[in-house]
Amino acid sequence: MEFLTPLAGLYAAAAAVPLLLLLYFLKLRRQEVLVSSTLLWKRAVRDLQVNAPFQRLRRNLLLLLQLLALAAVLAALAQPVLALRRGPGQRYVLLIDRSASMNATDVKPTRLDAAKKQAKAFIESMRTGSTLSWRDQSDHAMVIAFDQRANVVCSFTSDKRQLASRIDAIEAGDGTSRLGEAVTVARAFAQSSGVESAAGTNGKPAQLVLFSDGRIGDLDGIIVGDDEVVFHRIGESQDNVGVTAMNARRSYEQPQEVEVFASLANFGAEPVTRDVQLSIGGNVHAVRSVTIPGCEAQTADEPFRPGEATLHFSLTHSGAGVLEVRQLGSDLLACDDAARSVLDSPRRLSILLVTQGNPVLESALRACPIERLDPCTPVGFDAVDPSVFAARQQYDVVVLDNHVPAHLPRCSYLVFGAPPGGIDVNSPQELENQLIVDWRSQHPVLQYVNMTNLFAAKSRRLVLPRDAEVLAEFNESPALALLKRHGSTYLIAGFDILQSNWPFEPSFVLFCYNALSFLGAQAGDGRRHGLAVGEPIAIEDIPEHAILTVTCPDGTEVQVTPDPSGAVRFPGTYRVGVYAARMPESPPQFFAVNLLEPQESRIEPRDKIEFAGVAVAAQEQGVQRANVPLWPLLVLAALVFVCVEWLVYNLRIRI
Amino acid sequence: MATTRTTTAKLTDLLDAKFMARLDSLDLLSRKILQGKLQGERRSKRRGQSVEFADHRPYVVGDDLRFVDWNIYGRLDQLFLKLFLEEQDLTVHLLVDASASMGVGEPAKGLFAKRLAAALGYISLANNNRLTISLFADGVRAQLPHMRGRNYLPHMAEMLLTTECDGLSDFEKACRDVTASRIGSGVTVVVSDFLFKQGYESSLRRLIGAKYDLYVIQVLSPQEISPELAGDLKLLDVEDGDAAEITVGPALIKYYKRNLAAWCDELRTFCTNRGAVHVQANSADSVESLVLNYLRQIQLLR
Repeated sequence: MEFLTPLAGLYAAAAAVPLLLLLYFLKLRRQEVLVSSTLLWKRAVRDLQVNAPFQRLRRNLLLLLQLLALAAVLAALAQPVLALRRGPGQRYVLLIDRSASMNATDVKPTRLDAAKKQAKAFIESMRTGSTLSWRDQSDHAMVIAFDQRANVVCSFTSDKRQLASRIDAIEAGDGTSRLGEAVTVARAFAQSSGVESAAGTNGKPAQLVLFSDGRIGDLDGIIVGDDEVVFHRIGESQDNVGVTAMNARRSYEQPQEVEVFASLANFGAEPVTRDVQLSIGGNVHAVRSVTIPGCEAQTADEPFRPGEATLHFSLTHSGAGVLEVRQLGSDLLACDDAARSVLDSPRRLSILLVTQGNPVLESALRACPIERLDPCTPVGFDAVDPSVFAARQQYDVVVLDNHVPAHLPRCSYLVFGAPPGGIDVNSPQELENQLIVDWRSQHPVLQYVNMTNLFAAKSRRLVLPRDAEVLAEFNESPALALLKRHGSTYLIAGFDILQSNWPFEPSFVLFCYNALSFLGAQAGDGRRHGLAVGEPIAIEDIPEHAILTVTCPDGTEVQVTPDPSGAVRFPGTYRVGVYAARMPESPPQFFAVNLLEPQESRIEPRDKIEFAGVAVAAQEQGVQRANVPLWPLLVLAALVFVCVEWLVYNLRIRI
Repeated sequence: MATTRTTTAKLTDLLDAKFMARLDSLDLLSRKILQGKLQGERRSKRRGQSVEFADHRPYVVGDDLRFVDWNIYGRLDQLFLKLFLEEQDLTVHLLVDASASMGVGEPAKGLFAKRLAAALGYISLANNNRLTISLFADGVRAQLPHMRGRNYLPHMAEMLLTTECDGLSDFEKACRDVTASRIGSGVTVVVSDFLFKQGYESSLRRLIGAKYDLYVIQVLSPQEISPELAGDLKLLDVEDGDAAEITVGPALIKYYKRNLAAWCDELRTFCTNRGAVHVQANSADSVESLVLNYLRQIQLLR
């Protein structure tokens, strides 16, 4: 058994039971007196009643009141509804924003709950075509919850109970708001000629009803009709302080040194001072107070700019761990108060050098801070099974010296001489006497590298695909290029260094140093561990029959079975926090899911949202009820009638 | 003699000595002069043997030759009978209500009724009348039949004093019992409050007969005559427990008094139409003045 409206029942009981008891006690108040006979008194009472005015009316009054009470109860059972809206049935698409900013608590309990409540009120106000109604046109609605993706919660139906329960089931997320997909999905559903949607459309387009705070990223790209969208604004306040950027990285030379950068933004008008805490694996490392100026008011030509403050922590930490930067003040939105970053344990690079013998290159590589350098002959490299090579992950960087391998396992490559095949790079001819004409000194690979005097007696002409990044150019051909193909990164120098004067230049050693640190960072896991909300956790090369257990920030555990290729994509990163992926017999992998989205941290609700060309103002009032259920009034009336009847009956005895 | 003394002492609980002394000079009077059972001290309508001459009438065959007036025969040569007024005794029936309702009131109606009955009984016994006292509630509860002479005074007093006012009232049944056992002719006096829910008409009709004078003495307490109630009350009937919830106001009191007057009037009219006498008494009044003044005025007593 369940009560649909337990509160209403409780309220009615709270009103009715004391009233009944009160009336009962009123009745008990009489003092008892012994008389010789009640004969004459009863006659007197009767005479008094007979002679009282409206006697006939009052005798009927009891009956009348009883009939009225009964009629009220019977009418309440029929659940009458006062329909305030006229016209044919409409179709509505309810778009409910469940992005991060909807978790703000300026509307109690949260904006999302307020939106759900308004949406349910809207559902309640829809017209139902009942069998006894003279209109056969009923309203249909579908519900879409959206953050950066649209999720059809309930397709077109006129079943209010189903709609309400589905709306209740919408869960909050920490994603960003993107309306485009939701609108596309809504239109696709509205135009499909399903059985449900065919009824009562009258050719009118479905009305989009948006419940949001208006902080939606892609409004510019959505084209809507004039009256297609109705916008219900949720939210009241703008005060919020959030972490909008965070980065933690180890120094390349001294891997135990960790630099943490964080940026905080204040979206309120007043400057605030907040304590910012840095913790590693839950242990507080430092707390620093920072004052963030208030945001600048938006004007016609100045875009909105929040007050910002940046923080820099440096610490020594040699182990792995999860770094968290958290602002300790309380504000309206909790999910942007902290940002996390997964720090790997420091690791030196392992290099595989594939060469026929190049002591210059070998000694230059050995000068870099690396774990080990394994020389290998081209024949030996070609003999290795590429899948085994990729699975072992023994090497971070493979240096190919003038060798075109038969196959390329996934890795980072530093290529000298002829480029490997299969990566869309061609070298149709050899060039002679090439001089460097330009190089990108700002790129990390060429930082502090002076290539002015570089001369190559022989070089390959490199014909690069369009997405390749040219770092340095000879007079006739690119000299250095950066290219990503099939998950591998290739840094290609199109000439044999022994055919150039580069080994005699100081820039060569610097180049090797930069290239290894750059490629090593590309190969490392650092990038994979920082995810945006909704971005899937991807883990590859899982042993067969292993089951991955992902622990979400709220403590729930999800079992994920890898696909046949041994890869896992876990898409359930809907909330910010640290996700831990565990496999039997291996250490857990941590993934930090961060909001880091100023647009969501800015929780100030918009009065007007501007689509491409069409501005939609928020509705002045909340959702208006089109159908007023009358049964509570009727039940109340029945209660009143019964009480009055009781009173009248009692008065008759008392007179 | 000792027992007599103690019981007469009990009689003085009901009637004080001075009052009894004044009662000695009184006698019950029947408005109709009625035929008695024994030769008594009373004129009877029946002509018979007595010292007081009444009339002559012509002799018819079969008359007692002892009553032929021979002087007239000698003078007129015709036979005439001498008719005498026969003196006969009077049968007095006292019906006293002893139901629970008589116990209510301040002073109690029951005591008043018993004192009145004692006074009337005293007079009857003192005048050698045949006296039957019946106390009734749900039928006759106690009865002293056919008493004559002062010797019965202690018995009468004992019965009146020992019988409590209790139980439902069933006047109809009481009257049925009384009329069944009633013999002769005389006076019947009913003392009650006459607040009978089932009515009194048929019961009184039984009591009114050719041979009996009926006196109806209705005793009401001052609380019944002018009630001093106030507020929201639940009135409980002392006999059957019936409840009436009232809220006392001037209007209700007015209607109550009007109803009471109507009830009493109805009783009076009923009695008058049938040759009975209705007397209304207040239990707060003195029995002495009622007996010595009022009952003499209406010629129940002489």
